[in-house]
Amino acid sequence: MPLVILLPMVFFGIAGIAVLLHLLGLSRPALLGNQAEARAAWLDEFGEDTPTRVILSHDHRAALIETPLGNGIVWPMGADTTARYLTGAQITRTATGLRIDLPDYTAPRIHLTLDAAEADLWPTLLKDPA
Amino acid sequence: MTDMLRYPEVTQLAVPFFIAAILIELVWIVIKGKGGRYETRDALTSLIMGAGNVASSILLGFIAYGFFMLLWRITPLDLGASVGVIVLCFVLDDLRYYWVHRFGHRIRWVWASHVNHHSSQHYNLTTALRQTWTGTFTFMMIIRAPLIVLGFHPAMVLFCGGLNLIYQFWIHTEAIGRMPKWFEAVMNTPSHHRVHHGRNARYLDANYAGVFIIWDKMFGTYVPELDSEKPDYGLVHNLGTFNPVRVAFHEWVGIWRDVRQPGLSWRDRWMYCVMPPGWSHNGSRDTSEGIKRKHLVQHPEDAGTPGFEQ
Repeated sequence: MPLVILLPMVFFGIAGIAVLLHLLGLSRPALLGNQAEARAAWLDEFGEDTPTRVILSHDHRAALIETPLGNGIVWPMGADTTARYLTGAQITRTATGLRIDLPDYTAPRIHLTLDAAEADLWPTLLKDPA
Repeated sequence: MTDMLRYPEVTQLAVPFFIAAILIELVWIVIKGKGGRYETRDALTSLIMGAGNVASSILLGFIAYGFFMLLWRITPLDLGASVGVIVLCFVLDDLRYYWVHRFGHRIRWVWASHVNHHSSQHYNLTTALRQTWTGTFTFMMIIRAPLIVLGFHPAMVLFCGGLNLIYQFWIHTEAIGRMPKWFEAVMNTPSHHRVHHGRNARYLDANYAGVFIIWDKMFGTYVPELDSEKPDYGLVHNLGTFNPVRVAFHEWVGIWRDVRQPGLSWRDRWMYCVMPPGWSHNGSRDTSEGIKRKHLVQHPEDAGTPGFEQ
């Protein structure tokens, strides 16, 4: 197929589908309904490290997890979630909450939307005790 | 010799069909409220990975094709280009696909290329297009060499490979439950392939088939989809980024970091490249066998059931 046909078809095909999905309301990030859901989301990634404490953000978009092996974060990946330990994390205050930079190529940066009280408190809790 | 054989570039010709089918699946899911899930950034990443795959084929395809044409010049065999030969080529190329795909899950160097196809937590038609950008660097074109040497023209082999990939597009859906029994017995189907994309311990390293599920049944890797256990899609450790570059290269970066660890023997460095994903020199990670073993410790009642039979 000539590139002059293939390239526009691919470009507009991708753009059109993305716009349509967004207009259909399918861009909403996952919600962690309660602590049990946050705990389950953590265990989905680290099934052998049971949380000892779960702290949900006010908007239920993220959770701070404490475990015997260290602290971690659960956060939305689109309509789903993922989780990481905070070993080696650099935490920066932002206008909307916190930015966490991780030494992890698969999860280099996490933006947490937190209210002012959470943004003050969480960095002290996020510090890995290990 | 049939040196000048030409076949249509079927994967490129199928692009309008791919787009139309995605729209149909999406409309179906939205109207029915079941049959799968879509999310904007996930789908966008998958589609960009698909476009990148086409681009990498255009840019790097000459390497594999040059290798095949070299073999074609060397081989004394030429099976011609009859319909029967094309059908035979399609079946044998599907057997080739089974083994390349199995290596893709069992050899980390090859997994580094294939992993991105499994990196979505969704399972819809866009997932089918979440394809590798780095396939050339796995050197798996070698597995196609016997077909060329046996007398199948390289253009025919690549044509059959393209048809194989197009077949696999439609099986990436939750909108179809199960096909008729006779079809499920012989062909790869949405049900069989959902198992392949499952990160459940039961479903790891199963159903490598491209078109014919019979290869899995022959080589002992077939696991049926159980109504009692819905596949949980994605990777054992899911990605925390939608960046297509990171999706495409993350496992290569992982290998690079692992082999550069201080204090490793050269054997360990080699093993990080060629052992199954999850292998580590100190046993600190889990391969799929380890994950299954640990699952059975927690759930001994699952022993002997599909996916836990060995």
